Amino acid sequence: MSARSRRVLATAATGALLVGFTAACSSSGSDSAGGKVTLRYGIWDAVQQPALQKSIDAFEEAHPNITVKIELNAWAQYWSKLQTQMAGRSAPDVFWDHVGYFPQFAKQGVLTDLSPYIKADKVDLSVYDPKLTAGWKQGDKQYGLPKDWDTIEQVYNKTMLKTAGLTEADLSGLTWNPDDGGTFVKALQKLTLDENGKHPDETGFDSKNVKQYGLALASPNGQTDWWDFATQNGCKLQDKAWGKWTIDQPSCVQAIQFIQDLRLKYHVAVPAAVTNTPNGAALPAVLARKQTAVVWDGSWDLSAYQTSLKGNFGVALLPSGPAGQGTVYNGLSNALYAGSKHPKEAWELVKWLGSEQSEKIITAAGTVWPSIPTLNKDFVAAWKKQGVDVSAFAKGAEGTTIGYPLTTTSSTYNVKVLDPFNQVWLGKQTPQKAADTVNSASNAAVN
Amino acid sequence: MESTRDSPVPPTPALTARPVVGPPPRRRLRQILEAYALLTPSLVGFVLFLVAPIIGVVVISFFDWNLMGSPRFVGLANYREMMGDSEVWRSVRNTLYYVALNIPAQTVLALLLALAMNRRLRGGKVIRVLFVLPWMAMPVALGIIWNWAFDPEHGAVNQFLSLLGISGPEWLSSTTWAMPVLASINVWQYTGYTMLFLLAGLQAIPESLYEAADIDGVTGFQRFFRITLPLLRPSMLFVLVTNVIGSFQMFDTVYVMTQGGPNGSTDTLNFHIYQQAFQLFRTGYASAIAMLLFALILLVTAAQFLYFRKRTVYDFS
Amino acid sequence: MRTHRTITTAFGRTGLYVVLIAGALLSIGPYLMTLNAAFKRPQDLLSTNAWTPAHPATFGNFADVWNQYGMSSFLAHTLFVTVVVTLGQVVFSAMGAYAFARLEFPGRDLLFWGYIATMMVPQMITLVPLFLMMRQLGLVDTFAGLILPTVFGTPYGIFLVRQHFRTIPKDLEAAARIDGAGTWTILVKIMLPLSKPILATLATITFINTWNNLIWPLIITNSDRTKVITVGISALQGQHVSDLPHIVLAGAALALLPLIAVFLMFQRHIVRSIALTGLK
Repeated sequence: MSARSRRVLATAATGALLVGFTAACSSSGSDSAGGKVTLRYGIWDAVQQPALQKSIDAFEEAHPNITVKIELNAWAQYWSKLQTQMAGRSAPDVFWDHVGYFPQFAKQGVLTDLSPYIKADKVDLSVYDPKLTAGWKQGDKQYGLPKDWDTIEQVYNKTMLKTAGLTEADLSGLTWNPDDGGTFVKALQKLTLDENGKHPDETGFDSKNVKQYGLALASPNGQTDWWDFATQNGCKLQDKAWGKWTIDQPSCVQAIQFIQDLRLKYHVAVPAAVTNTPNGAALPAVLARKQTAVVWDGSWDLSAYQTSLKGNFGVALLPSGPAGQGTVYNGLSNALYAGSKHPKEAWELVKWLGSEQSEKIITAAGTVWPSIPTLNKDFVAAWKKQGVDVSAFAKGAEGTTIGYPLTTTSSTYNVKVLDPFNQVWLGKQTPQKAADTVNSASNAAVN
Repeated sequence: MESTRDSPVPPTPALTARPVVGPPPRRRLRQILEAYALLTPSLVGFVLFLVAPIIGVVVISFFDWNLMGSPRFVGLANYREMMGDSEVWRSVRNTLYYVALNIPAQTVLALLLALAMNRRLRGGKVIRVLFVLPWMAMPVALGIIWNWAFDPEHGAVNQFLSLLGISGPEWLSSTTWAMPVLASINVWQYTGYTMLFLLAGLQAIPESLYEAADIDGVTGFQRFFRITLPLLRPSMLFVLVTNVIGSFQMFDTVYVMTQGGPNGSTDTLNFHIYQQAFQLFRTGYASAIAMLLFALILLVTAAQFLYFRKRTVYDFS
Repeated sequence: MRTHRTITTAFGRTGLYVVLIAGALLSIGPYLMTLNAAFKRPQDLLSTNAWTPAHPATFGNFADVWNQYGMSSFLAHTLFVTVVVTLGQVVFSAMGAYAFARLEFPGRDLLFWGYIATMMVPQMITLVPLFLMMRQLGLVDTFAGLILPTVFGTPYGIFLVRQHFRTIPKDLEAAARIDGAGTWTILVKIMLPLSKPILATLATITFINTWNNLIWPLIITNSDRTKVITVGISALQGQHVSDLPHIVLAGAALALLPLIAVFLMFQRHIVRSIALTGLK
């Protein structure tokens, strides 16, 4: 064998070695060796992970033959990764499901109907808030056990409120109307100051040099801004659950117009160029740097506010509109993948995560409200310890609420809604036009 | 591709004396075998991990598929829809605009930088690292930082401009400025990286050529356009081809900073593909658009190769 | 020493330094802000401007990233994957590049075009069929799945080295052949030694690109056992970007350090010392 061929062979051998080496380093993939089962659990919130892990530790103790591995992926990549995994039939056994995606998943048959399991194990669904359970039902199939709930309320900076001479009670009892803004705008005007200390209702107010605004709003699809105003104005986002979008109705458009006015007419809300998704600053950042006194945000962001404001914030109820109170009431679920190789064990996990013991562990950490209403007080207590009264969220949940729209066209809506509404907030598009465009595009989606 | 010359350097005897006849047949066979032996590892990767997935994409483009259910054959329906889809053509325009903003600026700056760095400089090593740093930083962190920087009121850019007495625009909320902002970020990110290649290319030009030119009394300008630039073409070709290909596929910055807005002004083809495949459950349609993007890049790249083929010197002896 | 007569005046040289330093500052400005933010306490991060110095500064974020969020193991995984891929890329790309640059065989130009053409289909969409194939091969959530797609050399690497090989004078090879050297010997004894800068460049680029790669590792890995640092850090972003910016930025800052080290290590090979000339 010539020197040259020896060299070539050596190279080929190196190559083969490399491949062999890396293949050997790969996992054997056995997730059920000798009776032991490994389950994969997909989530997207790193903040909730520690509490979840505690609950899972308890689960593993009770089920020595089951190991659970949490797979954390950022929200931004969660859904694309999940779908790709589904294409390869290798999605996690249990995963967090969202109302925006659930209808599509149910339609495509990638979720397991839990009703047979629920019946067999005699799981009592009445412990959950019925609104939440209904959100995961289609016909008589139950596609997930409720995991938590959240609503939107007003989060405010305590010091800034005090300086303006307002109390939380003041903030919780406001009303707005599309004509003159009502007591809501009046309060926000008190909280808005330009560089010279003038309020918007005073002469000489310089709207180009505002030091502090009364309110900051932001939402990629409306959940933390216009959906709430819309509900308070009597608008229905859909004609019925699993039905068509109806956001082009006058009551909805009026609410959208009112938000545009808050920014461009009354000058009490932070300009859209600062808060528009995705380039805008996040609401906790806007509040933290004192650019606004109040934000409308969901209970999921509480830890972010605590990190930056350390107890110097409070939660007040949303104002009432012409049709009364209203907020968006939503919740996630734990879903069982239809392609799971260990459905029985996965059901055990889902059952556990929906149990009172598990929820007690998780609620004590104060990261999310529980789906079992009797545990709400634990959540409030966890936050009272940190110096914040979060009960306004629970109060709002008891009042008038709308759920996240249930429709297979949610994904289309979420993609189509961002740009036109960003334009509305910037004052470059009329609310009616934007609503019309988004409404027809969403309803036309053939999914 | 044969090497032609258009430089003022006199050809050496060894090259011009080479006969045009090819090597003897047995030698040829041996060369072919050797070539394929050398190519085998990369061919394995090429076929398995590049060609096969691309064939997969082509196949998927004839189906309607949402990744979760079964694919449904639709023939040319995706392509027909794409031809009439105004949003797709808007993406094409946006992408071309982005590439036009990005590549010339990046290449010229990188070239100037490479020329400047092509000398003994105090702290040259440090400066080099600093220029390359933007390319090395993780995109996810950069997204956060750049969104902060372009915040219309609290961001570094507008704060700096206000020091100069200029009232900065709304940047990422402005249909005029959003795309230029994305292009500038990309220029910032890749100029140092591009500079590396051009610097290596400059270093490969033999000193003897410049010495000969000096003796002939050539001016700095002439020296640049008659010697440096022509001999830099192999590096230029590489830099332009790879940067253009990369530029057409820009995604991260759009995803983190604008999501295609405002008013669709930054909706690039690759972002559109992502939206269709992963947010709108239309993988088949996304695949068809990917084929359109491929065709576009192929056209531009072929044009570049053609332009350079006639003008490139490879052998500097 | 190159004496470009265009800039020999003292003013010219100073001006050059000023421009270069300004450019360098602009280049690292955002990174300095990242670093600055990483040193801030969480409660100060959102309430202060990005350029306001971290005061009081804290190492807490870095400690958290390392311990609490598992970055130490992610770094180890990333290092392993990156080193293997870089080795494979450099070796196999050099081999393939030589074939394209100097050897004649049927279909050479067409194949080369084929290589270049594969760079033109976005990874965004090819990852779907590639993932399905990996799934069939049972390579999901494995190091093999992470490494295989690029370890055999990429069109980019082959293109880069081929361009360089073509600038090496043919006489050297001709002389060697006359002396009876085979192709492999020529490649190893003549071409490679003359290509140290380009190989160092390729190694550096491969290292950094593999290190920073997010999309493919995201799709092909699931568990912490194979997680790489880009995926680990981006997973902390949360649904509402505000969740853990101090950890994300601290992680990103940490992830950058090895890259700087690698670059410094290879730098002296990438740009040859100016004393060397092209021909021997």
